[in-house]
Amino acid sequence: MLSAAPSPFARLDALPREARDTLFLLLVIGWVVLPQVANLPVWCSVLAAGVLLWRGWLAVNSRPLPGKWWLAALLVIAVAGTFMTHRTVLGRDAGVTMLVVLLALKTLELRARRDAFVIFFLGFFTMLTNFFFSQSLLTAAAMLVALLGLLTALVNAHMPVGRPPLAQAARTAGTMALLGAPIMAVLFVLFPRLAPLWGIPSDAMSGRSGLSATMQVGNLASLALDETIAMRVKFQGPTPQQSDLYFRGPVLSSFDGREWRALQPRLGSFASTVLAGNARLEVAGTPVRYEVTMEPSNRPWLMVMDAAVNPPVTPGFASVMTSELQWVASRPITDLVRYSAESYPVFRHGPQVSAVALPPQYTELPPGFNPRTLALAAQMRQDPALSGAGNAALVQAAINRLRTGGYRYTLDPGVYGADTADEFWFDRKEGFCEHIASAFAVLMRAMDIPARVVTGYQGGERNSVDGFWVLRQSDAHAWTEVWLAGRGWVRVDPTSAVAPGRTGSFQRLQPPRGALATAFGNVTPELAINFRAAWDALNNSWNQWVLNYTQSKQLDMLKNLGFESPSWEDLSYVLIALVVATALVGAAWTLWDRRQHDPWLRLLARTRRRLHEAGLDIPPTAPPRQIATLVTARFGTSAQAVADWLLALEMQRYARTPQAGLAALQRQFKQLAWPR
Amino acid sequence: MDTAVLHPVRFTRQRFRQWWQSRLPLSDIMTLTQRNVYILPTRPGFMLGATMLLLLIGSINYQLNLGYLLTFLLAGSAVVGMHVCHATLRGLTMSLLSPEAQFAGTSATLTVQLTNTRKTTRYGIGMAILEATHEDRWVWTDVPAQAMATVHVAFKPERRGLHRVPPLTAETRFPLGTFRVWTVWRPAAQVLVYPAPEAFPPPLPPGEPRAGGAAAMRVNSTGEFDGVRAYRRGDPLKLVVWKKAAKADELVSRDTQQAQRYELWLDYAQAGAGVEAKLSRLAAWVVQADKIGLDFGLRLPGQEIKPASGEAHKRRCLEALALC
Repeated sequence: MLSAAPSPFARLDALPREARDTLFLLLVIGWVVLPQVANLPVWCSVLAAGVLLWRGWLAVNSRPLPGKWWLAALLVIAVAGTFMTHRTVLGRDAGVTMLVVLLALKTLELRARRDAFVIFFLGFFTMLTNFFFSQSLLTAAAMLVALLGLLTALVNAHMPVGRPPLAQAARTAGTMALLGAPIMAVLFVLFPRLAPLWGIPSDAMSGRSGLSATMQVGNLASLALDETIAMRVKFQGPTPQQSDLYFRGPVLSSFDGREWRALQPRLGSFASTVLAGNARLEVAGTPVRYEVTMEPSNRPWLMVMDAAVNPPVTPGFASVMTSELQWVASRPITDLVRYSAESYPVFRHGPQVSAVALPPQYTELPPGFNPRTLALAAQMRQDPALSGAGNAALVQAAINRLRTGGYRYTLDPGVYGADTADEFWFDRKEGFCEHIASAFAVLMRAMDIPARVVTGYQGGERNSVDGFWVLRQSDAHAWTEVWLAGRGWVRVDPTSAVAPGRTGSFQRLQPPRGALATAFGNVTPELAINFRAAWDALNNSWNQWVLNYTQSKQLDMLKNLGFESPSWEDLSYVLIALVVATALVGAAWTLWDRRQHDPWLRLLARTRRRLHEAGLDIPPTAPPRQIATLVTARFGTSAQAVADWLLALEMQRYARTPQAGLAALQRQFKQLAWPR
Repeated sequence: MDTAVLHPVRFTRQRFRQWWQSRLPLSDIMTLTQRNVYILPTRPGFMLGATMLLLLIGSINYQLNLGYLLTFLLAGSAVVGMHVCHATLRGLTMSLLSPEAQFAGTSATLTVQLTNTRKTTRYGIGMAILEATHEDRWVWTDVPAQAMATVHVAFKPERRGLHRVPPLTAETRFPLGTFRVWTVWRPAAQVLVYPAPEAFPPPLPPGEPRAGGAAAMRVNSTGEFDGVRAYRRGDPLKLVVWKKAAKADELVSRDTQQAQRYELWLDYAQAGAGVEAKLSRLAAWVVQADKIGLDFGLRLPGQEIKPASGEAHKRRCLEALALC
């Protein structure tokens, strides 16, 4: 006989309480582990999902839990798998894997309340490990949900009676979190920020994208599709020319035919190189001041606009400038960092040096590559129209060739072969900024003009909501610098010759978008832009206020509170003072709470005291009517008014009428002729 | 005294507990306030503390501001949880309904009413006899908002006599289980405990001839009291022992002649050996005689209760046995 299958919800409602609670806890665990899946080995995710599903199936069907041998076997598999994957069972990544496996396996012996606690605590560690990989607003929201879920499960476990609805437990958990939020805020603001206890492990920052120390033709293109934010800039005063927004990163001067690299530091001390670099920089005009909030890159590079004379003001670490004008911090940037800097858009770098004194690497080309480009260079050198006009004219000629030769800027130029410059100049005639810059530098060098490739970020987008300039990984850019006698290093952006919009008005090639985003953008492009601006602004304030809350900000806040030279001890004093103040408020409330504060009962107690003074002892349980009887029995008709008043008091409590107000009774209490 | 020598710590603790409890006021109604509600962290509470410490160390070491937020939000929730836990008991009024008399060694119940004047429900309140040691001694209840809940606590008195109701305790671990909030309550009410009836008592003693009765010398040879007999047609209805009829399916009539001539006396002197054993047997006989619906009298040292029947008589007899 066929029977209609019950709906899943009805089935869920019909489950015994224990099964329902277990399913809920499994759901919460799944939610906690889910953001980790991208960072976990595949076998670990599969094992965890399998175990959770198995446990859910056991719960729904009221099956007995597996025996100890099952658990031991699974544990051995998990430890072995961890060791095979990470070659260790210690360290961050292996630890996360083990933690997730343990969390899943523990559900298989989820019987008593104690086991629920263990899961609860493991869940919190797993939540923390999520933050190794992302501290974004979205992660925070997801983990807030997870925290509420875990609290709900715990509250539910402590409602032993009947089958309380989960919504009730959730409400209690939510209230607790809400009331706990001020405590969180105070602790967050005042808890002294300490330095890492045993140093940030080297694996803390793996898996981030960004500029790299080398440029192989083709690898910036992958960044071009990466919409993650690299840095945010807040200008003080007017924003400089849009085409001047070149944020300098690694300078690549050594080319092996396939890959551009930074120059290896030559013999001689680093410091003297740095000093020499400074000495050769001349600036003019008024500087642009700005503040940069840079996302962690795990590299020591501090992005500043060209050209900064003074080191960026950074919290907690020093920075130096290389001979190629790049600012380098004394340690890799492993967390969000904010620094202020000032740059001079008008500058001259190294005009005094003669070409001979320049390191020979700036004109070196690997032998055997790009023969056609070399031929082109020789042809241009011999061009009578250019031969007498000097290097500047040669540079201009190359730019003209780019502008008029039918070259095209594209994100998808295909795969280049061995002679990248030849392919660009003669065959494909299209490419991304790195192809253009690389080919241009090769041509320059072939003409014996010192040239180098500079990578960094160019342009950006101003957020209309909060006024911050946002530079994304897709704003990563490569341009060239050529050395001209008497002028020093001059920035030449060959990409702007091919596609003027790329650097001038910030028209970047739009990476292909998803169908939904396309549809959304087509229907209401304005709304889509505004939405993105608002979301970025929200993320930015999250970064500024939460993620970038460092020790220096903490001490700044103390300064605002009136401390002259704040230290972390002062933070502790403020914290202790707050705790003491809270405790005093609590004590005051307790005192108030201890007193009887039902006004009616208080009035009755006053009556009792009054009569006690008159020599009539009233038992504490006597109601007004009984007191009235006692009063008339003792004092006779002279106390009739008091007796009437007592009856009115009774009436006020038990048969309230609009006329019998408590305030009126309190007034009468004072005017009554009490017996003496 | 052995225990004192062997476990001085335990002995001191016990003495301290006794002294502590003797300080508590005796009252059948107790309203819980800051003064009589105690709070301490539980083992999971300490574990939560350790967890938060580890989370904090992790946040410091990896410089995770979001980790700080998580840790402090958890800490804030735990602090609020502590307050919620304390407030679950604070302000609750417990009142004990006067307990019924009962037999020693049998499990009976104390009825406690919990009154909640608050506008929110109080969840997960457990009640138990303070000294009970078995695991499932706790009775759990929720007290709805501005309402009353009734809890029955199992209570098994060991000795007969008039006792004070044992000290009760109420506790809660709601909402997080990280704190235990409890109170100790000494009700003033007393409970009368009858002697435990003997499990397999000998048959009721033979009836004694009425003083001055005609058959004074006749002794029932079987040793059985034969005050009732099967119903015979023509017996007046008032002779039918209805109580017995209700229990058995046959009608039983009082043997008027026997009833007139013999009286059942339950005598302390004839109830075996040993004071408590005698009282136990007498209690068993009282119950038995009452069940059959007989008239019986009770003779105790220095006390005699005239033969009668009915619930009140039975209670009176048992009371005499309890207080003997």
